[in-house]
Amino acid sequence: MASRRTTHDVAIVAMGCTPFRDHWNSSADDLLVDAVQECVGSLPDVTLDDVDAFWVGTQGSGMSGQTLARPLRLTGKPVTRVENYCATGSEAFRNAAFAVASGAYDMVMATGVEKLKDSSYSGLSAVFPPADGTDVDWTAPAGFSLLAPAYQAAHGIDEGEMRAAMTRVAVKNHANGARNDRAQFRRAVTAETVERSPRIAGQLGVMDCSGVSDGAAAAILVRAEDAHRYTDRPVYLRGMSFVAGSGAGLAADGYDFTTFPEVVTAAREAYEQAGVTDPAAQISLAEVHDCFTPTEVVLMEDLGFSARGKAWRDILDGRYDLDGALPVNTDGGLKSFGHPIGATGLRMMFECFTQLRGEAGPRQVPDARLAVAQNLGGQPGSCVAFVAVLGNER
Amino acid sequence: MPEQPGIDAYAAYLPAYALDDTRLDPTGPARDGGRTRGVAGYDEDAVTMAVEALRHVAADTPAGRHLLLATTSAPYETKTSAGVVHEALGLDPGVTALDLRGHRAGASALDLVLRGVATAALADVRTTRPGAPDELAQGDAAAAFAGGGRAAVLLARAGHTTELLDRWRLPGERHDRVWDERFTAEILVAAGLDAARRALAQASLDAVDEVVVSSSNPRAAAALRKALGGTGGDASVERATGFTGVAHPGLLLAAALDEAEPGQTILLLSATEGADAFVLRVGDDVRAARGGPTVRAQLAARQRLGYGRYLRWRGLLDVQGPARPASPAPAAPPMHRRAGWKYRLEGSRCDACGRVTTPPGRVCASCGVAGSGATAVSLRDRTARVVSVTRDHLTTMPEPEVAIVVADVDGGGRLSAYVTDVAPGDVRVGMPVTPVFRRLWTTDSIHNYFWKLRPAPADAAPGKDTADGQ
Repeated sequence: MASRRTTHDVAIVAMGCTPFRDHWNSSADDLLVDAVQECVGSLPDVTLDDVDAFWVGTQGSGMSGQTLARPLRLTGKPVTRVENYCATGSEAFRNAAFAVASGAYDMVMATGVEKLKDSSYSGLSAVFPPADGTDVDWTAPAGFSLLAPAYQAAHGIDEGEMRAAMTRVAVKNHANGARNDRAQFRRAVTAETVERSPRIAGQLGVMDCSGVSDGAAAAILVRAEDAHRYTDRPVYLRGMSFVAGSGAGLAADGYDFTTFPEVVTAAREAYEQAGVTDPAAQISLAEVHDCFTPTEVVLMEDLGFSARGKAWRDILDGRYDLDGALPVNTDGGLKSFGHPIGATGLRMMFECFTQLRGEAGPRQVPDARLAVAQNLGGQPGSCVAFVAVLGNER
Repeated sequence: MPEQPGIDAYAAYLPAYALDDTRLDPTGPARDGGRTRGVAGYDEDAVTMAVEALRHVAADTPAGRHLLLATTSAPYETKTSAGVVHEALGLDPGVTALDLRGHRAGASALDLVLRGVATAALADVRTTRPGAPDELAQGDAAAAFAGGGRAAVLLARAGHTTELLDRWRLPGERHDRVWDERFTAEILVAAGLDAARRALAQASLDAVDEVVVSSSNPRAAAALRKALGGTGGDASVERATGFTGVAHPGLLLAAALDEAEPGQTILLLSATEGADAFVLRVGDDVRAARGGPTVRAQLAARQRLGYGRYLRWRGLLDVQGPARPASPAPAAPPMHRRAGWKYRLEGSRCDACGRVTTPPGRVCASCGVAGSGATAVSLRDRTARVVSVTRDHLTTMPEPEVAIVVADVDGGGRLSAYVTDVAPGDVRVGMPVTPVFRRLWTTDSIHNYFWKLRPAPADAAPGKDTADGQ
């Protein structure tokens, strides 16, 4: 078996998430302190001393576990810094979950942070090791924009239909973000605004791209059997999988840019652990990695929500709207909530946590029971993928 | 060493762009037309054009010969540019890579080829100040020659050295300064006639079938063509390309060889910083000796370039680019370790499954088997098909947008690459493309050379591009 559910079940008992913003007056340290204090503060009887071990995910806003230990002045605690492209926040969560499930610790915290707005550039500013200069200097939107022409060609869809589906993703996610005080962009946008935005890469304009912002998020995890000591409404981790792609999609012929095989594998494993046999029917809501609008189109198929070649149609039919059959990115997604890399995976968990506890207010999905959090990084053909299934029942 | 001094193989390389209008204000009156210059792409320089010219004629250069790069526009001041060309061609390490500088270097490189000691590329990128009277009279091109006798044999040669302040430029300066050409023409014509007469006498010929004259000084060129009875073929190529500097005698000779019949005699006279005259007899295998397309075909396939783009490409107009960091400078050890990939586009073919991995790696990307001795396979002469395409509107290159594709190589292998010499909007899924050696960018004073893709020749519509605007 490729992966299995942990021997001990894991539950999230508390979470925190800063608003995602241009936080000109907050550092990565400040944002981490804010997210951690909100998280711990939601449990009346718990202090940071009760947390046995910590994980902090950041793509480029700090080095080592001291990224978290220093701002919080943690004393004598193990803190691990992780990095896994844009799935960094999920990676912090995954390792923290394994730590409680193993019995090594009773209570752990996963955190993620990114401070993107201190650079004068709008976008990511990753620093790569010295190289031979033969790699295309991809922008992130350029890499992901390869999905659209390939998807159109594979499924016989014209550019106008693809454009309409991509526009609908942006409009939907902004409409959801407009109902969320923590989102970076809290305004609905029109299709015209999306389609008239300045071109960035291929068919993608600025309004097809996720928001570049600062933010942090945090979660406290315990073993499921301990969860009710801390909260009446824990959220249980039902299944979780992570795949680091081999990069073969860019290194050998064959891959066709209409899917993320890494996501397909991770989803299959997570669903199996969670006992999900028909995701399109069983999942109440999903937080997915809408870094660029065509990514969300393809993910609807990779996650088993739409048949191959049909996601664009389902999107246009409103299936993934807030009042649709399977609401996707109810908090606004990367598109509208924003995408501070290291925090994003945990921000997705935060929305699932909020929805499954029935605390999502104006964007609450009725009778939410099972949620998917799907996070990825890299680019089509060479990516890392995380999928988790969370539920309000064990 | 060839037994017979002469030219075994030759090639010309003309960049894809032609400039025929240098008005800063295109709403103003048109100038007297008729002149066009060839323009190297923003991603080309003497090194990349030399590689393109040499790639089909130099592969078999034997150890002991020299690989010469003659240019007045070497990309590096002190580093040997021919070394990059040598690596890209995958020549034997026993072939010495050497740069020749100065305006006479083209004729001298040709001389050394004809003597059987060298394979040479003559390549130049030439600019003037915007608005200079000879702005359209200069041009960019390359030509390549390998020694031997297939294309032509050398009957006689003569040189004439004279010190002359004709065209000059200090290190760091962009454009040549030029002395009054009425003075220099007189000196160059005298030197040219002296060299030509001595060479013809030595060859025991009163006349030749074709006269080819190249001169940095257009008055001298016209006078010499008239005096020596040329047919004007050289002048007509020059009106389309401009004077291409060091490359010019090679380019005009290549154009003459394209059309020459076996047995015909050619006088090539270069009157630049003195004079060099060569008398050649065209070989029986001249058609087979040509590498790449003819000069005429390359001229017909060019696309028109607007003056603004030209100025931007040459750094003569400072245009605001995107808010994006410079593309990373390559590092010396990885470039050295991966020279096969970087310079020759060599992937690895898996011993177990036979599929190609790019960049080459120890473990096959298709089957996951760690190859003990995976075979290097060069993809540079293959055709590839576009799998998906995007247009980067935030490019750091001196263009509003560039096309980037993933393409599958016929016979195996996948490339992620920039596409060049085509409007980004014209690149489509399924389009055939072929590798071309280019300069991707220059960061921290390091030129980053690698392969791009351009539309495969079969896909180019001859004649269409010449009339199209941008």
